[in-house]
Amino acid sequence: MFGYVRPYTSELLVREYAQYKAVYCQLCRVLGQEYGPLARFALSYDCAFYALLALSVSSAQIEEQRRRCVCNPLKACTYLPSPGEEYKKAAALCVLLTYHKLRDDLDDSGFFRSLGSRLLLLNASPKAKKAKARYPFLARQAEQAMLAQRQAEDSQAGVDQCAEPTAKLLEAVFSELAGCDGRQRPALERFGYFLGRWIYLMDAADDLQDDLREGSFNPFIARFGLTGKTSLTEEERAQAEAACNASLNATASQLVLALNLLDLDGFGPIVENIAAKGLPQIQKEILFLHVKEKPRRELKGL
Amino acid sequence: MTDPYKVLGVSRSANDDEIKDAYRKLAKKYHPDQYADSPLKELADEKMKEINEAYDTITAQRKGGQYGYNGAQNSVHYNNGSGFSDVRSLIMSGRIADAEQILNGVPGDRRNAEWYFLKGSVLYRRGWLEEAKDHFSTACQMEPGNGEYSAALNQAMSQRGGMYGGDNPNQSMNAGGAIPVICVLVC
Repeated sequence: MFGYVRPYTSELLVREYAQYKAVYCQLCRVLGQEYGPLARFALSYDCAFYALLALSVSSAQIEEQRRRCVCNPLKACTYLPSPGEEYKKAAALCVLLTYHKLRDDLDDSGFFRSLGSRLLLLNASPKAKKAKARYPFLARQAEQAMLAQRQAEDSQAGVDQCAEPTAKLLEAVFSELAGCDGRQRPALERFGYFLGRWIYLMDAADDLQDDLREGSFNPFIARFGLTGKTSLTEEERAQAEAACNASLNATASQLVLALNLLDLDGFGPIVENIAAKGLPQIQKEILFLHVKEKPRRELKGL
Repeated sequence: MTDPYKVLGVSRSANDDEIKDAYRKLAKKYHPDQYADSPLKELADEKMKEINEAYDTITAQRKGGQYGYNGAQNSVHYNNGSGFSDVRSLIMSGRIADAEQILNGVPGDRRNAEWYFLKGSVLYRRGWLEEAKDHFSTACQMEPGNGEYSAALNQAMSQRGGMYGGDNPNQSMNAGGAIPVICVLVC
């Protein structure tokens, strides 16, 4: 996954923001405990979101702890441990998705460009094996998604078809969270489907310029009739971005419908903030404010 | 029965206006119209029923007035003049895969506006929002005056505008700003 699933912090309560950070820190800690310190680099906002959702669906027990930060011994962090499986599953998901991302990079680029991925894979492969042994369901879903993704991209499929594997992956992973609670399952599945779809489309929209320049596959290229172009004029770019935004909006509006029907305890308001406000904010930052092209100091006010 | 105050998320000491407010907010959230094309329709109806009952119970307890809710509308319904009544009833009963199989078996020369509308409805329910929109707009082009098809296209387009989720870049500008974008997309 790609780190697009983040809260819109200025609209979180201070207490909620602290809880979000504590869940994030706890996931980082669990990752280290389960898969070694290097695995902490696999930590992502998306997996933190998974942990938040899992803890909210299962109404898990949590208690606050204050301890040293695992990375910086001079800093104190709040942690929110839970005795259940939620963090462990989120950690396994981080490891598995990072592993597949590295594998994917390896297949996409030449020998020298992929050297970095090769080195990281030396470390990631045994970790992924461990995660697979513990959570075969998650591993199977991730593998299937990567395979279907490859097939879709090789056959130059349309936008919907290309988004399907990521969408189905999250659909299955969220469906599993329902456990024996049949009442929540349909809404969780639908929420997962559209969140996965949104993530894929956001990533494709974000990469559009790079993919055009490098001639890589991107489903939006054929969709907007940009095949053969290597760069876009300002006007073309604005038009493409508005069209990407429309696709993302359509997806986000379905996602909100599913979210409305979920019964969430605990971190419910944070999950709602992320889905209803965090995602649109990312769309805005990437498609209209172009934050990735601006120097850091200019971004302070955003 | 569950506590009606809890269902509406209000305290027992809330006054009638606060209760009405909470009810309206939830009714908007679970509004059956927005779930008309969604597989989650049943769940939404259930939630709607729950809050309706809770609201009715509270108002009856307090002997307040009634606040009813007008029924849902579904964008695919029975149509006597339809050449695809079997597909329509499959879609209505949620058998999307079966409906799609029949639609895919229709030869190219028999694919009229209704075919594109129904195929779009199938795609929409599956979450293939891009192709769904394309099919709805083909249906509208083939038969411009049809209310059913244009309602489906309008819904798909307004969701793309960012009013129901996502980001609307024209929000802070004047209302006219949103129109050119939609025109470009439809044409």
